[in-house]
Formats: sequence, structure tokens, C-alpha cells
Amino acid sequence: MQTSDDALRIENLSHWYGDFRVLNQINLRITPGQIVALVGPSGCGKSTLLKAILGTHPANEGRILVDGNQVRTPSRNVGIVYQHYSLFDFLTAEANVAFGLKLDESSLAFRMLMIPQWLKMRAKHIERARAFLDSVKLGAACGKYPAELSGGMRQRVAIAQALILKPKLVLLDEPFGALDEATRESLQMMLLGFYQENLKAKQEGRTPEYTILIVTHELNEAIYVANRVVGLSRFHDAGEQGAMIVYDRPCPIFLPDEPKDVESFVQQREELRKAVFDPSYVKHHSKYVSFWEQLSELAASS
Amino acid sequence: MIHRPIPGWLYYLLGIAGVMVVACVYAALSTRQTHINPDQSVMPGFSALGEGVVEIFKSRGNERNPRPSWISNDASATYWRLALGLASGVALSVVVGVSMGAYTAAEAFFNPLITFFAKIPPTAMLAVYMVVFGMALKMYVAMVAFGVFFTMAQAIYQSVRKDVSTDLIDKAYTLGASEIEVLYEVVWRQVLPRVIENLRLQIGPAMVFLIAAEWAFADQGFGYTLRQQSKLLNMNVVYLYLAILGLTGLGFDWALMRLRRWLCPWFGE
Ligand SMILES: Nc1ncnc2c1ncn2[C@@H]1O[C@H](COP(=O)(O)OP(=O)(O)OP(=O)(O)O)[C@@H](O)[C@H]1O
Ligand SMILES: [Mg+2]
Repeated sequence: MQTSDDALRIENLSHWYGDFRVLNQINLRITPGQIVALVGPSGCGKSTLLKAILGTHPANEGRILVDGNQVRTPSRNVGIVYQHYSLFDFLTAEANVAFGLKLDESSLAFRMLMIPQWLKMRAKHIERARAFLDSVKLGAACGKYPAELSGGMRQRVAIAQALILKPKLVLLDEPFGALDEATRESLQMMLLGFYQENLKAKQEGRTPEYTILIVTHELNEAIYVANRVVGLSRFHDAGEQGAMIVYDRPCPIFLPDEPKDVESFVQQREELRKAVFDPSYVKHHSKYVSFWEQLSELAASS
Repeated sequence: MIHRPIPGWLYYLLGIAGVMVVACVYAALSTRQTHINPDQSVMPGFSALGEGVVEIFKSRGNERNPRPSWISNDASATYWRLALGLASGVALSVVVGVSMGAYTAAEAFFNPLITFFAKIPPTAMLAVYMVVFGMALKMYVAMVAFGVFFTMAQAIYQSVRKDVSTDLIDKAYTLGASEIEVLYEVVWRQVLPRVIENLRLQIGPAMVFLIAAEWAFADQGFGYTLRQQSKLLNMNVVYLYLAILGLTGLGFDWALMRLRRWLCPWFGE
């Protein structure tokens, strides 16, 4: 395995607040193009892990590499979508999406001093933002401010805003938690659409562009949108040391328009319930951590 | 009936009625006063007010040495002082308020000072400004600027703390922003409507401070003329000046509201 291929690599990461150990010896590798769901009991440290990856709250021990570079502060390599406060109130939907392009491709001095050139660039940014919004079925909302959008539309714009920069990794922290069931489903399909684009890129020999780590408390959602489920939990034989990764397995992936066959989830969902969410089921933390083995078995058999 | 809407025409009619009632009551009182004492000038009638208009717009001086009318003389002095004072007060409070909201060190440094000075009545500080800046333009500018600075800096500081979430700032970094870009493209853009709204609230106090300073020290400006003319009991001129000050405040308020709607259409009403 070439390490420089990894979008994300977490090595022996531990974190504690005061003398309360939250995360213990986390190791995780994510390669480009994977859509990984992170599940775990409430309060187990999912947000803490995300903040460490983002670089806003570095962990006490261990290190995190994104695309081979150690994370120390937030940067344009890692994008984030929150459950709330996800957009800039003072920008329209298209300007929100173009905001990253603007910050990434021009400097404040350039924008103030080279106004004609900047305006030309600006027009291109807006065009790209509109095209992206069109592709996630939000063409009609381009000129609206966040306050004029529904919750679902806002999260769509927020995801577009993070993805248009093509960061190495995008983190979603319960992005659909505040949405109703139908809206939620349409946003899940949007994510499946990105996975399809990843597959297409792989077939054409390109590096897939969308690598996503999504935290969710909905097990069906985890299995549906992701191709890999990671469980974080304290319910294992060294649980008092903090939460570890106790589950890491591939899961079925769907096409956006394919009917969602919930029955096929049942087995994996029960497995997850037991392995991640059941405090009385004590096991070695690596019992269900088999993603990479299963992947190479799969590769060998095909 | 509480909170119940009324038809639009009635709304405007009632507004006009209010003005009419005050005008009629004033006219009645004025007529009665004139009946008692034909020479009274405390409640001048409408014709006396008309003479007041001529008085304030009339060019002064003579052929060889022409001088501007009272109104152009006073307006240019007062408005210039007001504009300079507000501009420097706003600029200073934006710099201090934003850095207090953004940097804990600045917050720790400025907070005790600002909380203390905000409690001193600004007009009382006039004594200090006069000694420090003399009786020139600088004193009036300082009076207005510091008069609005402490309140505005506190408001902007609060707004940065409250309206700009840490999550959004982190998000701007993930989109490739530098620190200065976060300050200008996120923090400033987010608090701009609050700055304008606060400035609207400060117009009234700013005029109080300026008129008080002019009343005490100036040899031109609305405050100066108000003092001179009220001493002479030329109330027709005084009332006109008060009306002009009222209209100035209204005009400023309206212009700032339009500015806010134009610059920050996202802010709502
Ligand atoms: N700033 C902090 N100071 C002290 N303890 C904290 C802090 N932030 C989080 N914790 C604790 O760390 C643990 C993990 O919190 P975290 O927010 O990461 O959990 P989570 O898995 O995201 O939970 P949820 O599913 O409810 O969002 C919790 O027990 C929480 O009480
Ligand atoms: Mg959380």
C-alpha cells in the first residue's frame, strides 16, 4: 500500500478533555473516492474526531495526515459541512458556492487593486458555481440568500460549497439531522450521485474527486449512502481508555435512482447495533474491523 | 383590537391628522397670545415664521463685504463638524470593536477602558476636549467622535461575538481564506448592517453632543445661533432651526436605511 495515495491517514490518535479520555488510539485510512459513514453512540467522540481532522482542535496524541501533509490548522484540503450555520448569510447561494473559488484563486490585494481582471475572474467563478448548483438541481435558487432557502436547499448549497473546491476530504457532521424524511432522502441521492462520478473517474483512470466522511446517527442512512461504515464506540474490552474504532466494514452501494432495498440492510444494521451500540456486548475492539481484508479478498476473487 | 391591522388609507390619514392637530393647537395658542400681547415673540404666528425664513436665508454684510446667510453659514459649519465627527467615530469604533470581537487580547485590553468611559456623560467630557483640542474644529469632531465611539464600539464588539460563529470562521479557513480575508470578507461583511443600524441610533446623541458644544463655545453653527436668537427671544428663528435639525436627523436616518438596504439586502427589515 502506498501511503501517499491516502486521502486521510490517522495514526494512533488519542484525545482527552481534562482527565476524561474521549478517543483512544484511533487508526484510520481513507483512500480517494471512498464515501465513509461514521456512526457511534451519542457522546462517543465523533465530533471530536472530526474537529481533529479539520485542524481546529488538534488531538493530544498521534497525528493526522491529509494527502500526506500533517494537519495543524484548518485548510482548503479539508472541507466541512455542519448541521447548522452552514452558509454565509450575506452571500447569495451562487456567491456562497463561489466563495471558496474566490478565496482560493485570488488574493485580497488582487481583488482590490486589479479590479477589471478580478471582475472577469469573478464572472467565471459565478458561472462555475451556477453550473455546480444546476447539477445538484438548485439552478433556480442561485440568486437567493440563505434566509430565503429551505433547510434542505441550504444543506445542498453547503455541500456544493465544500465540494466545488475539490478538497482532499469533505467532512459532514450530521448534515441531514435537522431535515424531514423526504428532503433527507433526496440529499442522500445527491451523495450517491457523487459516488457514481467517482466510479466513472476510476474507470477512466482518473483519481476520484469526491472523498467524504459523513457522521450520521441513522444506521440506514449510513449503509445507504456510504460504501464503508466505520463505528466509533467505548463498548469494547478497553472501553474505559476511551472510544476506539470497533467496526469497519464495506457496505452495499446503490445507484441514485435504484430502489432502496431496506430489507438487505437488516443484517448489517443488526451487526452494527451489536458491535457499536450495545454496552453489554464486550469484545475485542478489532473484532469487526475488517474493511481492508475484505477489500483485498474481493479484489482477489474477481 | 390589539395588534389588529387597519386599512392603509386610514393609517396615512391618522398620520396627517396628528400633524394637523398640533399645527391647529399651535395656531390657536399663538393667536391667543398675540391677542393678549401683540408684541409677543414666544409663540410667533405663521406670518412671523415666514419672516423668520426670510431672516435666515437673507445674505448678510453689504455690497463691498458680502457675508453668507445665517443658514448657509451655520449649516456648513455644523454639518461639516457632524460629518467629520461621525466618520472618525465610526472608523475608530469599527477598528476597535472588530478587533475586540476577534482577538481575545484586544478584548482584554479595551474592555475595562471602554466599559468605564462609556459611563461618563459625553457632554461632561467637553471640558477635557476643550482643554486638549482648543476651540477649533478638532474639539467638535472629538466631541462627536468620542460621544458615539464608546457605545458603538461596544455594540460592534457584541455583534462580532454574537453574529459571527466560530464554525463559520473555521469554514472560511477551509475555503482557503487568510486571516485578513476572514476579517474583511466574513466578519466585516457580517457586522456591516449592525454598524449602519447602530449609526442610525447614534445620530440623535451625536447631534445632542454637537449642539451642546456649539451652544457653549462656538461662534457659528446651529447651536450658536440657537443660543443667540433664544436670548433675543426671536423664537420664530429658533423654531425654524429646530425644524431644520429635526429634518436633518430624519434625512440622515432615511439615507442610512437606504444604504443598509442597498449594501446588505440579505439583512431583512
Ligand atoms: N469542549 C469540551 N470540553 C469537555 N468535554 C467535552 C468537550 N467537547 C466534548 N466533550 C465531551 O467529549 C465527549 C465526546 O463529545 P463529541 O461531541 O465528540 O461526541 P459526539 O460523538 O459528536 O456526540 P453526538 O452524537 O451527540 O454529536 C462527550 O462526552 C462530551 O461531553
Ligand atoms: Mg457530534
